[in-house]
Amino acid sequence: MEAFETVYKQHAPRIYALATRMAGSPDQGEDLLQEIFLQAHRKLASFKGDAALGTWLYRLAVNHCLDFVRSRQARMGKVTDTLDVETAAQPVARRETPIARIDLERALERLPEGCREAFVLHDIEGYDHREVAEMLGIAEGTSKSQVFKARMKLRGLLS
Amino acid sequence: MHPNELVINDYVDNALPAAERAEVERHLGECDACRALVADLRAIARAATALEPIEPPARVWPRIADAIRRQEPVAAERDRSYWKWLAAAAVLVLATIVGMRFNPLSKQRAVEQPRQSASTTSGGTTAAAPAGDTAQTVETELRQAEEHYDKAITGLEQIANDNQSAFDPGTAATLHKNLAVIDQAISESRAAVHAQPNSEPAQQSLLENFRTKIAVLEDTVALINEMRKGNEAGAARIVSGLKEKSD
Repeated sequence: MEAFETVYKQHAPRIYALATRMAGSPDQGEDLLQEIFLQAHRKLASFKGDAALGTWLYRLAVNHCLDFVRSRQARMGKVTDTLDVETAAQPVARRETPIARIDLERALERLPEGCREAFVLHDIEGYDHREVAEMLGIAEGTSKSQVFKARMKLRGLLS
Repeated sequence: MHPNELVINDYVDNALPAAERAEVERHLGECDACRALVADLRAIARAATALEPIEPPARVWPRIADAIRRQEPVAAERDRSYWKWLAAAAVLVLATIVGMRFNPLSKQRAVEQPRQSASTTSGGTTAAAPAGDTAQTVETELRQAEEHYDKAITGLEQIANDNQSAFDPGTAATLHKNLAVIDQAISESRAAVHAQPNSEPAQQSLLENFRTKIAVLEDTVALINEMRKGNEAGAARIVSGLKEKSD
C-alpha cells in the first residue's frame, strides 16, 4: 500500500487536473480521480512495464474520463457542433493583462459540454484534432469548431 | 470582409497554408476587431498550454486507501487460509511425531519384560511402566494420539470446508466420497478399540485410518493451492490420486 501511495502522490496532480477539467467540476474530478486509482490498483498486475508507469496511468485516466464524458453525453443527448458563439465581427477590446490561471480554471467549469472536452484535449493536453476527433467520436471538423467555440466562450468569460 | 471564424482559428493554430495565411495577415493589418480576436485567442491558447497540475484535496487518498482495503477481503481471506494451513501443518507434525513415538508393540514388550529396562524410554515420551499399569498406560497414550490426530484433522477439514466453493462438483463429490469411507473406517476402528482396548491390530487400524484421512485432507489442501496457482496439470494429478484412493 505504501508503494501505491507513492505512485498516487507522484501522479495524482496531473490526473486530478485532467479529470476536473474534463468533467468541468472539482467534485466530479475528485470522484474520477478516486475511480481511476482504484482501477489502476486492480489493473496494476497487468502493467507490463513496456511503458513508463506514468504513461500507463495517464492513458488509463484519459480513457476513464472519456468513458465518463460518453456516458454523460448519452444521458444528456449528443452534443451538436453548431457555433452559437460570438462572431469575429463583434468588436471586443484586446485584453491588456495576461490570463490568470485561476480565472481560466473557473471559466473552464462554465464551458458547455462538448466544447470543453475538445478544448481540454486539444489546447491543454496537446492532442491534435485528428486524435481529439477519434477520442470523442466526432468528425475532425467538429473538433476544430468545438475548440473554436470553447475559445470564444472563454474570451467572453475572461473579458 | 472578415475571414471565416474557422480560418481565424486555424490561423491562430498556425494550421493555414501560406497563401491563406498571407491573406489573413493582410486583413489583420486593417481590422482592429480581428486583430484583437487573434490576440485573445492566442492568449487563451497560451494560458491553456501553461496550465499546471492541480494538487487534489488531502481527503482523496484516505478514501482510495480505504476502498482498496475493502476490495481486498479475498486476498486477506487467502492469507488467513494460508496461516490456518500453516497452523494445521504444525499440528499435523506434532500428531505425526506422537503417532511415531506411540508404538503399541514396544508396550507389548514392556508387558512381557517389565523389569528388563526400567530406565529405558520409548522415543522419550513413555517411561516403562509397571506391568499392572501397562494396559491403562497404552489406553491413555492411544487416547492422546487420537486427540492429536483429531486436532490435525479438524484443522485440515476447516481449510477444506472454507474452500468448498473452489471445487467443481465432480471434485467435491470425490472428496466427500473419500472422507465418508474413511470416517466409516475410523468409526469402526474406534468401536473395535473400545471393545478390545489392548488389541494391537485394533489400535494400529485406528491410527492407520487417522493417517489416511490426514493424507486425503492434505491432498485437498494441495489441490486448492494448485487451483489458486492456475496449475491445471498439478490439480488434475491430485484429483486423479484422490479418485484412486476412493476406488
